Amino acid sequence: MSQFASSAGSKPALKVRGRRVSFKTVIAFVFFGILLVTQLYPLLWLLIYSLKTNEEILSGSFFALPAQWQWSNYQGAVEGGNYFRYLGNSLFVTITTMAGVILLSSLAAFAITRFRWKYGQLVMLLFLLGMMIPMQGTLLPLMIIFKNLHILDTHLALILPYMAFQMPIAVFILSGFLRSIPHEIEESAIMDGAGAFRIFRSVILPVSIPPMMTVCILTFINVWNEYILAATFISSEKLKTLPFGVYSFVSQYSVNYGAIGAFLVLAALPVIVVYFLLAEKITKGMVAGAVKG
Amino acid sequence: MNVLKVSRWTIAAFILPCLIVYVGLVFVPILVSLYSGMLDWNGIGKSTFVGFHNYVKMFTHDSVFWPSVRRTFTLAGFSMLVQVPIALFVAVLITRFVRRPNFLVSSYFLPVILSVAIIGQLWKTIYNPASMGGMINGILTSLGLESWTHSWLTEPKIAIYSIILVSLWQYLGYHILIQFTGIQNIPSEIYEAAKIDGADGFKADRYITLPMVLPILKISIVLSFIGSLQSFDLIMVMTGGGPAHATEVLASHMYNMSFITMKYGYGSAIANVLIAMCLIATVLINALFNRLDKRYS
Repeated sequence: MSQFASSAGSKPALKVRGRRVSFKTVIAFVFFGILLVTQLYPLLWLLIYSLKTNEEILSGSFFALPAQWQWSNYQGAVEGGNYFRYLGNSLFVTITTMAGVILLSSLAAFAITRFRWKYGQLVMLLFLLGMMIPMQGTLLPLMIIFKNLHILDTHLALILPYMAFQMPIAVFILSGFLRSIPHEIEESAIMDGAGAFRIFRSVILPVSIPPMMTVCILTFINVWNEYILAATFISSEKLKTLPFGVYSFVSQYSVNYGAIGAFLVLAALPVIVVYFLLAEKITKGMVAGAVKG
Repeated sequence: MNVLKVSRWTIAAFILPCLIVYVGLVFVPILVSLYSGMLDWNGIGKSTFVGFHNYVKMFTHDSVFWPSVRRTFTLAGFSMLVQVPIALFVAVLITRFVRRPNFLVSSYFLPVILSVAIIGQLWKTIYNPASMGGMINGILTSLGLESWTHSWLTEPKIAIYSIILVSLWQYLGYHILIQFTGIQNIPSEIYEAAKIDGADGFKADRYITLPMVLPILKISIVLSFIGSLQSFDLIMVMTGGGPAHATEVLASHMYNMSFITMKYGYGSAIANVLIAMCLIATVLINALFNRLDKRYS
């Protein structure tokens, strides 16, 4: 911020709340404000939209607040759209995937980084290669394989590929962390005669909570929002996850605009609540997930 | 030096569960796909082996293939040449002018964490005709610019750009976050030293921030390119590739061929081209940035 102080001193300045603020700063903040509006206003607009009657929406006075807040739109969305069923399915699929990814990838990362064996690097390379492979490319063959295994239209058909495609980044993050902790911490456990499983459980697991959180967050965001696989592999109404449920609801209630808005708000709500609680952790996790290339 | 000496069985117990799931669901499907890409098969009946015929047909006789490749690259181009530079600019500005940047950065990031299914429907509503309560046409009408109103998603010439705009809107915050974090990680001593040498403000950005942020910029570029190659969930939600294939990209073409037209063999062949393009693109972008990196340092 030293640059800020010097530029404020040399340029013509105006005062905001007793602080000297340079002209450049004002321009920058106007720009930030505009960007904030473009990024957030559509979401706010949706919220207002969801509380209007059909007539209010169709009249085109989109800046106006609803004359009376139509909570009945929400009632309609919940009752007509199986909201809680979709929510339950999304929770089940996401949590199962998270648990599976954490358990299997931490075991693998432990083996890759801590065991004395020849093929550790090779296995790691295999996982790194997988990061470049797009999930869409495997959509059709997976469909054929699942059809033959008779697990199409079950939650397993979602959980398995979700797990598999989260594993490379999970192994990458976890083994990166495990490499950074010194070997001394398990040496004393070896002296005590602990086996590999005990070392993993009572030495490695407890210290690996932070990277596991990162993996959890990445898995949550990716799996919770996934649409294409869910729409391709699931056809039973009672098995649909939330993103697919949104699509079904919209095509079913295509003229009940208020209810569609309400359903969209409800569908976005869980992630937004989680984001409010864990914003910093989520942004850090997503950056960690991005820094893989 | 790894210290744990363990038996083969222990290694297997640790590594195999993960490896089996991973190889079984990532690599086996690709092998299946390489094979079924050489079949003429509708998924149910008998299949005939046709060798590379599907690929020949795709490159020479498919009127949708090349336009969808072009659109895929248009999307990637907008993302790399518009979205990423804007994000870098915003990230530089935030670093310079904002004392407590967390609120701004995490607000910009909010659209990123929402499902494409929700974002797609939201923007479909925004793009609606004014008579159906659409926001953009509504604003234009109330400003007296009725001639500017369009049916944004059904006019073949505009539809793809309407979708690209949504994609740029949704992921802008992601790139801002990535690059902002990258700039934060540049040690401040470098700027202080540069200031003594007379480099300040935008000069410092040109000679310090830009070269130092190159590795992060690479991540953004790779992400936006690979993301564009893969991105079709938004298109499937908003237009399904229509009207008359006007918003078709490579991945949606693959999807429609496989699951709507039921040409499994042909769909697999397109999927294989998509995978190959992703791999080649990643390698090329990495090589390009390695050269840039050498030139700057």
